[in-house]
Amino acid sequence: MTVLAQREGFHAPGIEGFEWSNIVDLHLFGIDLGINRVVLQMFLVVLVTWLLFFLAFRTPKLVPAGLQNVMESVVDFIRNQIVLENIGPDGLRFLPYLTTLFVFIFFGNLGGVLPLISFPLNSRMAMPTVMAICSLLLFISVGISRQGFFHYFRNTLFPPGVPWLIYPLLTPIELISTFVVRPVTLAIRLLANMIAGHLILSVFFVATGYMLTSANISTLFGVGALVFAVALVAFELFVAGLQAYVFTILSAVYIAGALEPEH
Amino acid sequence: MSPPEQPHKPGGGSDIVWSIIGTLVAGVLAWGGIGWLLDRWLGTEYLVAVGILLGAAGAFYLIIRRYGSG
Repeated sequence: MTVLAQREGFHAPGIEGFEWSNIVDLHLFGIDLGINRVVLQMFLVVLVTWLLFFLAFRTPKLVPAGLQNVMESVVDFIRNQIVLENIGPDGLRFLPYLTTLFVFIFFGNLGGVLPLISFPLNSRMAMPTVMAICSLLLFISVGISRQGFFHYFRNTLFPPGVPWLIYPLLTPIELISTFVVRPVTLAIRLLANMIAGHLILSVFFVATGYMLTSANISTLFGVGALVFAVALVAFELFVAGLQAYVFTILSAVYIAGALEPEH
Repeated sequence: MSPPEQPHKPGGGSDIVWSIIGTLVAGVLAWGGIGWLLDRWLGTEYLVAVGILLGAAGAFYLIIRRYGSG
């Protein structure tokens, strides 16, 4: 092919792979509310999440079969492994929130390894940020409604059983660690994992394609890169589940901390 | 809830690990920030370092008090 003779050097895909231009332009009060591919994918993930639960539990049977069976095992997993283990029976009223969170994050991450979509929804800052803020507001309001406004902030900012002379040292640390570091790390952990995963996958697949079509010794390496790329897809699938799990379990741990003050 | 029958912590204690890291970061951020602000107001240069060390020490104290005795 003539194309091969005059091909340019290899360009590694970079951060520009996360930028999408608007499909529908919409500006309200100077805020860009345009719809791009990421927004469409978010709608899709919301729809899939809703549809799965709706179809599974529309006509629930005592002996579950098919989709109901699958979704029940998801709910069971969150209930037993996350809620009961970390919060206790008291936390069962947060099961709907935590289950939705887990499933939504998982399907958002899953886009990164699905052909035709090939983009992890949570690699855009807005997604994990909003979910982290939800978890932050939730555990603060749980703490306030359970312990009372004054007690909650006293228990959080002034850990009991400490000589009062040390409070000036500890209170700023507790303030930052509970209300800033918690939501920020929650969001960044998910975001960074998804960005890194997407970058690795795109570099590997673009490089594989480049090497396989270069018609010289690189083609041999291309075969190896292809094997690696497929293995990385499996790894990213694992990360997609793991990060959804970590986000959910830490939200549960924070709720548990707000329900039961430190002794 | 019933604390006596609390089972072992799940997830290999990964939530504890994250909590320890978070506390350390928060200590350094909080007191490093205070030191940095004081440096700006007082025109000094060393208070940010003092703040970071102080914050790390405070964070260590919190972590040891919370998780030290198992």
